[in-house]
Amino acid sequence: MKFPLISLLAFSLPLFSAGQTEKEDSKNIVLSNVSRTFRFVKGNKEHPVQVNEESRRTYYCNSYRSDVQVVEFYNDNETIDDLGITVNGSKKHGITPKYEYYSSSGIFYSDAHVCYFNLPLAKQGSSSEVTFRKTYLDPRYFSTIYFSDQQPIQQQEISIVVPSWMSLDIKEFNLSKYKITKNVSDGKGDEKVYTFTMNNLPAMPDESQSPGFSYYAPHIMVLCRQAQPADEKYTYFTSVKEQYKWYKGLVDQVGNDVNVIREKTEEITKGLGSDEAKVKAVFQWVQDNIRYIAFENGIAGFKPEKGQVVLSKKYGDCKGMANLLTEMLKSIKLDARRCWIGTKHIAYDYSTPSLAVDNHMICAWMYKGKPVFLDGTEKYIGYGEVAERIQGRPVLIENGNDYILAKVPEATHLQNTATETRKLTIDGNDLKGHVTQTWKGESKEWFLSELNDVKKNKQEDALKDFLSGGKPNFQISNLKVGNISDYNADLNVEYDVNWKDALSVFGKETYADVDNRHNWENTKIDTAKRKLALWFPFKADKIFDTEINLPADRTVTTLPQKVTIKQKGYGYTAGYSSVPGKLLYRTEVIIDQTEVKPEDFSQWNRDNESLTKFYNEQIVITHKN
Amino acid sequence: MRLIGYLRILFLSMLPAALLAQNKDAENYRKASEEVRKQVWAWDKPQFKVKDIPAQYANASKVIIARHTELSAESKSKFAFYVITFAIKKEQTISEVSREMVKLNDKTAIDEYSEISFTQLINKSGFFAKDKLTTYVGVKVIKPNGTVKEINADDIVLTKDETREKRAKLAIPDLQPGDILDYFVATEQTVTNDFSTSTYDIALFDDAPVLSRSFHGQLGKKYSIEYRSYNKAPELKVEKNDSKDIIIDVEKKNMAPFETSLWVHPARQLPFIRMHIALGYKGMGSRFMGTKKPGEVLPNNDPDEYIEARANKLSENYFYGYWMKEAKKEYEEIEKEAKKKAKQMGTTFKDLSDVEKAALLYYTLRFSKLINFEIDALSKTIGVGDNYYNGLAFPVFATLKAAGLDPAILVSAYRSGVKITELMDQSDLMTTTYLTNGGQFFAIQSVFDTPFSIPEEIEGMTGNKSFTFDNPKLMIASTKKIEKLTNIEAGPNVPVTEAGSNAHIENLKLSITADKSKMEVKRRTVVKGHFKADLQRKLITYEDLYESERNSFKEEKSLIEDLQDGRKSKKYVDEVVNAFAEARKKQKEASLKEIKDEFDQEISDFSNYKTENMGIRHTAPDLVYSSTFNMAGLIRKAGNNLIVEIGKIQGTPIKVKQEQRNRDIDVYMPYARSIEYNIELQVPDGYTAEGVEALNKKVANETGFFTVDAVSSGKTVSLKVKKHYLHGFEPAGNWSKLLEFIDAANEWLNAKLLLRKS
Repeated sequence: MKFPLISLLAFSLPLFSAGQTEKEDSKNIVLSNVSRTFRFVKGNKEHPVQVNEESRRTYYCNSYRSDVQVVEFYNDNETIDDLGITVNGSKKHGITPKYEYYSSSGIFYSDAHVCYFNLPLAKQGSSSEVTFRKTYLDPRYFSTIYFSDQQPIQQQEISIVVPSWMSLDIKEFNLSKYKITKNVSDGKGDEKVYTFTMNNLPAMPDESQSPGFSYYAPHIMVLCRQAQPADEKYTYFTSVKEQYKWYKGLVDQVGNDVNVIREKTEEITKGLGSDEAKVKAVFQWVQDNIRYIAFENGIAGFKPEKGQVVLSKKYGDCKGMANLLTEMLKSIKLDARRCWIGTKHIAYDYSTPSLAVDNHMICAWMYKGKPVFLDGTEKYIGYGEVAERIQGRPVLIENGNDYILAKVPEATHLQNTATETRKLTIDGNDLKGHVTQTWKGESKEWFLSELNDVKKNKQEDALKDFLSGGKPNFQISNLKVGNISDYNADLNVEYDVNWKDALSVFGKETYADVDNRHNWENTKIDTAKRKLALWFPFKADKIFDTEINLPADRTVTTLPQKVTIKQKGYGYTAGYSSVPGKLLYRTEVIIDQTEVKPEDFSQWNRDNESLTKFYNEQIVITHKN
Repeated sequence: MRLIGYLRILFLSMLPAALLAQNKDAENYRKASEEVRKQVWAWDKPQFKVKDIPAQYANASKVIIARHTELSAESKSKFAFYVITFAIKKEQTISEVSREMVKLNDKTAIDEYSEISFTQLINKSGFFAKDKLTTYVGVKVIKPNGTVKEINADDIVLTKDETREKRAKLAIPDLQPGDILDYFVATEQTVTNDFSTSTYDIALFDDAPVLSRSFHGQLGKKYSIEYRSYNKAPELKVEKNDSKDIIIDVEKKNMAPFETSLWVHPARQLPFIRMHIALGYKGMGSRFMGTKKPGEVLPNNDPDEYIEARANKLSENYFYGYWMKEAKKEYEEIEKEAKKKAKQMGTTFKDLSDVEKAALLYYTLRFSKLINFEIDALSKTIGVGDNYYNGLAFPVFATLKAAGLDPAILVSAYRSGVKITELMDQSDLMTTTYLTNGGQFFAIQSVFDTPFSIPEEIEGMTGNKSFTFDNPKLMIASTKKIEKLTNIEAGPNVPVTEAGSNAHIENLKLSITADKSKMEVKRRTVVKGHFKADLQRKLITYEDLYESERNSFKEEKSLIEDLQDGRKSKKYVDEVVNAFAEARKKQKEASLKEIKDEFDQEISDFSNYKTENMGIRHTAPDLVYSSTFNMAGLIRKAGNNLIVEIGKIQGTPIKVKQEQRNRDIDVYMPYARSIEYNIELQVPDGYTAEGVEALNKKVANETGFFTVDAVSSGKTVSLKVKKHYLHGFEPAGNWSKLLEFIDAANEWLNAKLLLRKS
């Protein structure tokens, strides 16, 4: 299971990052002509069916001489057999390509390698050319062909040559938007040739917090069904059943040691009565004790490590954790199953059986006939809570020789509510009082993950700094952090605050902005730069409540107008109210869909401007005398 | 058997294995690893038996219980056939074992120690020698209940697996908070005919508590060692045993964690020991090689030796790079070019004063050698502003010398490096050219530098040396004579700049947008001294730099016109125009980013960006740029009135974190400096300003000040906000005084003004 960590990495981002990265204007160097031919060929005994790729990329310099970095990946199942480089018509270019292990953030070890070099474009109007010959050793791993590149492509032809002994389907994704034409013709002998032709394909966009490539990039999925290059017939994934069979076969080879696993599980669940309590205990034990370390080398990218090994090493990848959780629960006679799932990052579902469909493994405990999904890689999520990245995704649940195809339930924003409640009194120019803050679900998970990334002896200072927004006049004392170790309960902190000079006094009037959080203020989307949908890491519900006791000699004379916005996917309410002796303030920001589509950017910006405008207004309190 | 000896024997016995199949290599490596681990774990060192952590460190993220390095170096001579003759080759075997035992108390510590990456093997086979480096690791996890788990080699994965090089990674299994990790990395290296010096630094400080830090070394009798302890680090104990081997020891116990990272120069303030270890050699050519005598032990070596070595090196530069006729010609060309440029500028070179000549030569050198246009290196040329130079002391010196001026090269320590009285390396020294008759400095660290500026790295340096060179009158230049061309004399002290010389001044004309939501800003920024370099790199394009210099020299044609007129060059004019246009686009983006970074607010309607003066000439040394834009975040509506959060104009001033507030070490800031805001706020029609008086503030002491002078006159509120750090260095005792005005600036962030609707 090659599990890209993109979703996990998102947790280190704030809920909204203004980081709409600008893609380097790449019109200087373009790919004027690209041809790629993939040909299914008879292989050898070890790899009876192989795919040869021959590619030719011509880079053209439009404006001024420069270099472009050429990068080609390969791995245990994908070899680079030949590389040709021509610079301005000459093969004497002095370029030495580098072939290296590809180290990817968050992945401890994989078989990914990279060949790279800088390709010069000698002058304006000149071309440089790169040819690769590659071999894919197993059609099972040859699952997608992406048409875009780092540079815009002026002309491209992609051909797939399929002999009659090879059976496959091709599924197209996002082709229509780019006017890509497809032609199926007869090739040499009994070959069938699928040809895709396109002009003026833009460069692959690179924007933060965007959907995975498969949602928007033009590409095809190659669904290899079966092959009979000689006498023997090889079956790949003709259906999801075949895919499950392959996965199940790998799982059956794992060799879990039930006795070792049971011993540990019984120790963890000792004295616990209900099954649910046992599942919670085992799940949190895995979260707390098994470090996430990803291995993606060859078959280890798909086959889980033995449960007892993960147990002993105290580290594993998603497969290792899912397998261990399953085996631990099974060892105490609970009905647990391994599950295969594609995270939200992937646009596909199991209607297209392929290794490209899923990238993650979790565990399901079948409770009262329904699965409770347990994802050991989610370090601080509670039992029954589900991370956004797998919500609503199709999931293949182990079921003996058969499988169950289900969907992970979607949680609402209420799973992740973060609440801040303040009770304050006026003391001169200061506001003093008590604050309680609570985080649930993925808000809690994000908060704990940030907190635990700080050294233990610096956590209190870091926490105070975070809670005060880095403002020295928001002075925190008597800080109490409740429950940072039970992920099944809410996380809460409380403290006393002396918010110095929160009030500005001008004559008889006191001006105040009682909200120093301004949740989701200035989160406008740069429509000039952003082209892709904006994805938030999880649904949000942020509530900010403040109650201020007013001295008897003062009265509130000006209150900003309330703001109420309700759109599909998000909403804001923000307003003040005044009751005798008290001023009440409340804002709530709800993000109940994690995607803002490009067509909704303008509305989002208008709404956000209203919220920001509200935040920019202050209350006025006047002395009665 | 001692580990080091074992490693050597083991390694030699493994040499033939390189010829065997790869799996044989792997098997040998595994066996060797096992043996090395056995040896290291058997160390009888009491510091590695400690398991109890002192109570005061119970809350620390990690505690280093023991950190020990064991170094061994041996050499032997071998007879070798070198193509046409027999010669002696020196083979060295160097073994180093670094072992650390650390108590891990939280997730961050676990994350830090959960993986080890290392180069398992490097094989360099040449014609004369087969050099090899092999690394072994050993890891034990000691659980709180005392059980010990050793990590086996099967957990190692190879990320590069070639005959000549193997790189490996190891994920430490079963590692949890509360565990003690005991691990080592051992390297075994053979090298041939390597007389270079290896530097070993023993840092005696850490951001974690360290209960024991120790070092033991055993060097064969043919080695030499130089060493010095810095900043109250304990002295090394160096002795010779009966075999005349050099035995080195040092240990420091109970080191408290070093907490602050703000304004610290470790080389000046924190304890550490430096050692230079090399194979000794005194014989033919040893003077060139700078080698010590075999067996030589040099504690606190005379720093003048390094000054002299630098002098010798510069003498060679002088001889080959200047005295030789062909070499000097290049500098004479610069003088010729300067004369031509003087004429173009309506003056005569010979009529200029020495200082004026020096400045013109400096600019000519920059124009003709650094920012000259090269089509074949277009990207490099356009990106020349990003280059960092080391001051270019020698080329500048030679340029001035060739023109008959009287320059010298000042040799000084770095302000952030070790003192000149504690030198141990050539890299401890910085060279800067100056005029002996006026003392003016000439350094090129970027293409935007100006003559007479003092590099910040050497501000305030004393005890400096000055090198001058006499023209040798040698018929035959013997090496010894070449080296002695230098006259070493006492050099001048380097002055320190004042706060006003390193200034960032924002002149801001503020008015409020019609919808009363944003501040309309007309900004003119003046940047002086050391504050300039970073901004110049970001904001000035190559084209602007080139054209400005061309105009200063009264060159008739622009670069593009020049290219158009060339028979060969005209064909790539379009290309250059395109590249310049692209650079201009990036400059605009960089300018907007600079505004956002400076004010830390949402910026819109950015326009009228102009670099009024690039600050690249001593006659107009300030970087000045201007623009207009709207800034959100400063205006709040309050009923009919407006609150102006004027304090926020400071953006994000430096704030001293809680953990940095207690300080007992001196404060090494970059330099004395000043930050000022001259604000004129236009009060909109129909409003009156209130609270102006309350904006005034003054916190001043001997270290600096933060002051605000606010006055209201008619429809304008004027503020002068000044924050001055008067010195680049403050003794620890002044820390609280620095905090006074730094805190005051932060408090003033909350300053507000009321604009009351009439």
